Amino acid sequence: MLTFLQISNDTLFVYYLCSNLIYLVLLVTAIFKNTLHRHRLASLRLERLKISPFTPPITLLVPAHNEETFIVESVGSLLGLDYPGLEIIVINDGSCDRTLAELKRTYRLEPARLLYIHEIPTARLRGIYRSPIEPRLLVLDKDAAGSKADAVNAGLNAATSPYICIVDADSILEKDSLLRIMAGILSDPNRVVAVGGIVRVLNGSRVAHGEIAEVRLPDRGIEVFQVIEYLRAFLIGREAWAQFNALPIISGAFGVFRTDLVRRVGGYRPKAIGEDFDLVVRLHRHLQEQGESYHINFISDPTCWTEVPADLRSLARQRARWQKGLIDTLWPNRDVLFRGRYGRFGSVILPYMWVFELLAPVLELLGYSTIILAAALGMLSRQFFLLFLLFGYAFATLISIGAVLLEEMTYRRYNKSREVARLLLYCLFEHFPYRQVTMIWRLQGLWQYFRGDLQWREMKRTGISTPVAQ
Amino acid sequence: MEFISKPPIELGPAMLILKAVFVSLTGIFLLIAFIVLRRWHRGRYFERLNQRTYAIRTQWDDIISGQIPSKSWRLKSLDCSIVEAILLDRIEMASPQELPHFLKPLRESGLLDMRILEARRLRGWKQRTALIALGRTRTPEAVPALAEALDSPSKDTRIAAVRGLGRTGVIEAAVPLLDRYVAGQLRVPEHVLKNALADSCRSYPSILLGYLDQSGGPNRELLARILGELAGPDLLDELLILTADALPEVRASAARALGNAKTSVALSALSALASDPEWFVRLRAVVALGSLEHPGRIKPLLRALCDSNRNVRQRAGWALARVEPDLDHILEQVIETKDKYALQAFISELERSGAVDKVVKLLELRIDDAPARSMLLDALTNGKKHLEETALTSAAAAAGR
Repeated sequence: MLTFLQISNDTLFVYYLCSNLIYLVLLVTAIFKNTLHRHRLASLRLERLKISPFTPPITLLVPAHNEETFIVESVGSLLGLDYPGLEIIVINDGSCDRTLAELKRTYRLEPARLLYIHEIPTARLRGIYRSPIEPRLLVLDKDAAGSKADAVNAGLNAATSPYICIVDADSILEKDSLLRIMAGILSDPNRVVAVGGIVRVLNGSRVAHGEIAEVRLPDRGIEVFQVIEYLRAFLIGREAWAQFNALPIISGAFGVFRTDLVRRVGGYRPKAIGEDFDLVVRLHRHLQEQGESYHINFISDPTCWTEVPADLRSLARQRARWQKGLIDTLWPNRDVLFRGRYGRFGSVILPYMWVFELLAPVLELLGYSTIILAAALGMLSRQFFLLFLLFGYAFATLISIGAVLLEEMTYRRYNKSREVARLLLYCLFEHFPYRQVTMIWRLQGLWQYFRGDLQWREMKRTGISTPVAQ
Repeated sequence: MEFISKPPIELGPAMLILKAVFVSLTGIFLLIAFIVLRRWHRGRYFERLNQRTYAIRTQWDDIISGQIPSKSWRLKSLDCSIVEAILLDRIEMASPQELPHFLKPLRESGLLDMRILEARRLRGWKQRTALIALGRTRTPEAVPALAEALDSPSKDTRIAAVRGLGRTGVIEAAVPLLDRYVAGQLRVPEHVLKNALADSCRSYPSILLGYLDQSGGPNRELLARILGELAGPDLLDELLILTADALPEVRASAARALGNAKTSVALSALSALASDPEWFVRLRAVVALGSLEHPGRIKPLLRALCDSNRNVRQRAGWALARVEPDLDHILEQVIETKDKYALQAFISELERSGAVDKVVKLLELRIDDAPARSMLLDALTNGKKHLEETALTSAAAAAGR
């Protein structure tokens, strides 16, 4: 027992050091890459990209399931995006509410008998609609298959552009976000096969006519914690991993992909729980197997605003689902681990995702248990125990404040000093007790997965047209 | 690692952790202090910037006309940057007639020379800033300094130089770009180069022809692509020659240019390209044929409607569905092809363009030829139905897969 505790404590100590070291490297890399990117942006003129005849067209795929509250505003906002050659395909995924009716009413949709080839299998297509007043809009109505993946695949079958952009119906893209994200692709179109943009927390901000009118920090603490999490995940994590061409995920809320490539890998996996993560992993895998030189990139200036859970119950469900999505993708790809032919995808990305993402809540729980047990048995000095906990807390807080610093140095969406002060204050509480609570939700996710509970539980939402704070 | 689990008598190994805690807490303090100080500094800077911008704008006409001598603002870095920013914005928006009015203070104040010097002497992001500013000046004097930066070992600098050259919009800027590109000495993203060349060659696209003759492979394809966007009817002869090029991409670009030229002289060349062995050349030719206002286009478009490639059929359908007021006759000819895929493509595009009702009305007007009318209406209805069934059967087949 004592030997086990000793080995366990030593291992967890090394694990914790490695984890902190990785975060430190990611933070430094992200600061470096962000600075470089901002200098590059200085020579980029988006209006030139907009009027250029060489800018490729893009198809926006908008899966919508029971989105009657936001769908009209969301589509209106997408139609207002600055981009030449835009095609918008809304996929009504068997909604039980008035999603399709709202679209029909607003855009005077008419049934259209367009040629539609089921290249990627999906649930039955009920109809195709086009709008006489908005020729860029196409609406597919299909049976529900219980997953966003199936809806996106239906849209993928109908897409006619060389690039697709997958956007959630409850999210808002900034007006120039497509131009900005495509600038990232066009910088090296032969190698860059997919690009993710930053996803920010919409809660609290004022929305008017499907656009962000004023950025504000949400009122509720649980939402502010998520603002910090998103800043850390995107401005540090994804920015840095992309620099090493090791980006493991492009958010399902906002990402651009080469259409032919997504079709080649069969689109989204219909049964995938975390379909966005699953797609990027399969793209990495496919491209490595083909021996192609490629880059899956992240760019921090194209922005998508999305609503995050505002209550504990919804947040718990979301985190549990994310954890299920992780294991659901990592397990089928376990054969890739540490195999030379998969390069850094097999030797860095996937091992990192296994050890520091999937197993993190398990190891964290194990760590808390064995350290407390060791301290109780007198194997660990009280001073050491307390100092170690304090170090863990202080270092993690340092990284979170680093994310706020990056935001300050780059895009400064939260302009008021009071809001920055609040962000900094919440950084102090993020790693105790918020982190421990999310750890429990993630463990619940793993438990549900092993029990075979893969049910999608909907998130309670307020609606993008309804400002949370006036 | 044994020290972690051994009960320490004194602080011992925990000292290391204590140091780490201290470093982390210091880091937190420093980051917060940096954020606070930076905000304070930026607040002051922008306040001052606003004040000076307002002051300069109120005296703007005097600054431009030279009544306020340039030395009064040129040597104050904040004032100088404000004047330059306003001036460059005006230059970018200026018409050719207005341009000399804004270029005069730029030259006389020495701002232009300063930027040329910076572009040559400085390195890194400061050099790139100078290159971007030079591009915005739209002056031929900026071209040599921008061209020198094309040979920089830094990719970002080369990109800034290419963008700068494009932004000048003067034909002189195209020469260094083309010289280096054809010689294989310019390594920048294709999209950046294409835009820069299109901007700089716009006033004189025939400059591309000489370089096109010298180049082969991908270089030739890229130059042809730019020519395809810029060429007008004055380059018709050259474009007709390019339609017989060995490279399919070049033939496709020639087809695009002929479509833009909108001249009926191109009809026979485009008809020939609509039967090209490469599907994307046929596609481009079909799109170009669609833009011609000539009755002779119907025949090649009908042929393209029976193409083996789905995209070509769809585009031919798209072009034919917009041939008004003869849609009923076109439907008749489509049916005569006895090609169900051609009919599908045509009806699909009629639906997309919202022209089905127009066809029905046209057919209903044929009171003198009732059998033909009913046959065409049946074909239209069955075609629509068949299209629907195709989608549903392929869906069912896909679901069963």
